[in-house]
Amino acid sequence: MLEILKGGLHTTVQDMGRRGGQSLGIPPSGAQDGFALRIANLLVGNPGGGPLILRGDPGTAGLEITMGGLELRASAKLLVALTGADMAISCDSKPAPLWSAFLMRAGQTLNFGMAKSGARGYVAVHGGIDVPPYLGSRATHASGRFGGFKGRALKAGDQLHIGPANADIQSLAGRHLRPELIPAYDGLRKLRVVRGPEAHHFTEKSEATFYNVEWRLNPKSDRTGMRFIGPQLNFYPGRPKYLIKEAGEDPSNLVIDPGAPVGTIQVPSGVEPIVHCVDAPSIGGYARIGTVISTDMSVIGQLQPLQYASFVPVDHEQAVTALKRQESLIAESSISK
Amino acid sequence: MIYDQPIFRTMGDTAINIEFGDETSIVLNFRILVLDLAIRENPPPGLIETNPQVRTLGIVYDPLATTLDKMTAALAEMVDEAGAIEELPSRKLVIPAYYNDPWSRECSEAFDVRNNIEYIAEFNDMTVPEVIETHTACDYWVTGVGFVPGAFMSYAMDPRLRFGAPLYRTPRSWTHSRLLNFGGTTSTIYPIRVPGGGQLFGRTPIDIFDPQQNNTVFADGPVLTKAGDRHRYRSISREEYNEIRAEVEAGRYDYQLEEESFDCSGYAAWLESLGQPAELRDPDASWSLS
Repeated sequence: MLEILKGGLHTTVQDMGRRGGQSLGIPPSGAQDGFALRIANLLVGNPGGGPLILRGDPGTAGLEITMGGLELRASAKLLVALTGADMAISCDSKPAPLWSAFLMRAGQTLNFGMAKSGARGYVAVHGGIDVPPYLGSRATHASGRFGGFKGRALKAGDQLHIGPANADIQSLAGRHLRPELIPAYDGLRKLRVVRGPEAHHFTEKSEATFYNVEWRLNPKSDRTGMRFIGPQLNFYPGRPKYLIKEAGEDPSNLVIDPGAPVGTIQVPSGVEPIVHCVDAPSIGGYARIGTVISTDMSVIGQLQPLQYASFVPVDHEQAVTALKRQESLIAESSISK
Repeated sequence: MIYDQPIFRTMGDTAINIEFGDETSIVLNFRILVLDLAIRENPPPGLIETNPQVRTLGIVYDPLATTLDKMTAALAEMVDEAGAIEELPSRKLVIPAYYNDPWSRECSEAFDVRNNIEYIAEFNDMTVPEVIETHTACDYWVTGVGFVPGAFMSYAMDPRLRFGAPLYRTPRSWTHSRLLNFGGTTSTIYPIRVPGGGQLFGRTPIDIFDPQQNNTVFADGPVLTKAGDRHRYRSISREEYNEIRAEVEAGRYDYQLEEESFDCSGYAAWLESLGQPAELRDPDASWSLS
């Protein structure tokens, strides 16, 4: 069992999310940085599940810690792995390793500070966090109040059951991600984007600006949408007049309730592009300039408030190549001991 | 307008949006739902899920199991094979609604705007009783579900009775659950407490989304209403609202839901007989599709 001593800013139980909800308004949810959660599970010998968005297999549930502040106690001997953001984590006041499986004795505590680099940390425990699956997944959708632990963020006093061990956890301790594969979270981050359905309605100059400037993450961002602070983008005139009544008065209301899968970038009023994240609605109402590729939803999940990011245009083929490369990394060959 | 041929839009590495037009049209939505049914019955290899909405069909697929070209070709073939649309399965639900309710008024006051139903009345040159009368006078067609779990988008099926009001310029940070609202001519209900910009005008005592799945109507899932369903609103008093709400909370309310099919070709013919334009045109637009 894991006993929560402090819930931190926003800590939730997440796996790789639920499928089949797009037509019902139910978002996939799941880890915002799927790469980090899947590696954490791999390190402790749990099934990791399919990639973000595809979510053919939700894998094993772990914890997603936003910005830090979590404190927990192991009530039995457990094999754990911590990945993602560097939150200066200590285990009984000694530094705990990141990207590495280690044993916790009963009674030991993990204490998470505030994120120094990256924004979301992950905890995987051998056996997985054992909460009842809801619609095929253990992912928490906090605003819908379902999934995960009682459909909400964790708080002090919560007790999380751990699934049964199916391996000798002693022998798995010490497994770590090859150091050259540990992602860097600092500095200007690049988000690869495939051109979107309404990109041609932005002026040529504005579309170029979108890719040329350095944007900053609006602190009001969350798992529903990541907003980016930067210059105003403009639209070509010539919108059919009936759309004023049908879609709205704003020039960015180019379209009526189109599908908006995870990664969709909308630009309401041409101000502050919003990237649909894992808890986002399945529809939008504003011009979609592009789609962040599925692999880079992990990158976006590690942006700190006001951190710089730029959008990099790629074509569909490059996006699929990136996904294939990511999938090849989530494998035993990436693990050393 | 309704496009001659649907346009396939690439959305990143795992999704496609098939666009049938750019307007709100129930007849256009029929084409989307027919294609969606065909895909659900016979999914192309690599398909993950579909997302039917008012004028687009969203496709999520696994690019490691198929390719964009193969998926597009399979879907294009299904578009070509879809024949004339005769009928669609369509359930009909009666939604009891307490109009001009205190919870909507409380939201208006909390965000310092006038009682929304009065604004809706003024915007449409109606009285408040006329707003209620018009909203209960015809069936509404659900074109898709999105925004938040269970939130449906629906439109008056009689175009002569289609009305609404613009969204708030600055959305509210919260809205009571189960409030009826207009966003343009889209009529919907907030299933849960959420932020939102819809003009509020009533509250239903029934659950639209129930993650606990307490009532048998939710046996198959937590979402009450799906694309292709129809609704008819029924105006109720505060007393009836309280009675129904108590039954809903006890898990024993008998939802008035009928399984039926809908005569799509008959509906299209009826629209034509009204002299309604088959589609919207703006000769002055310099709108380019590509």
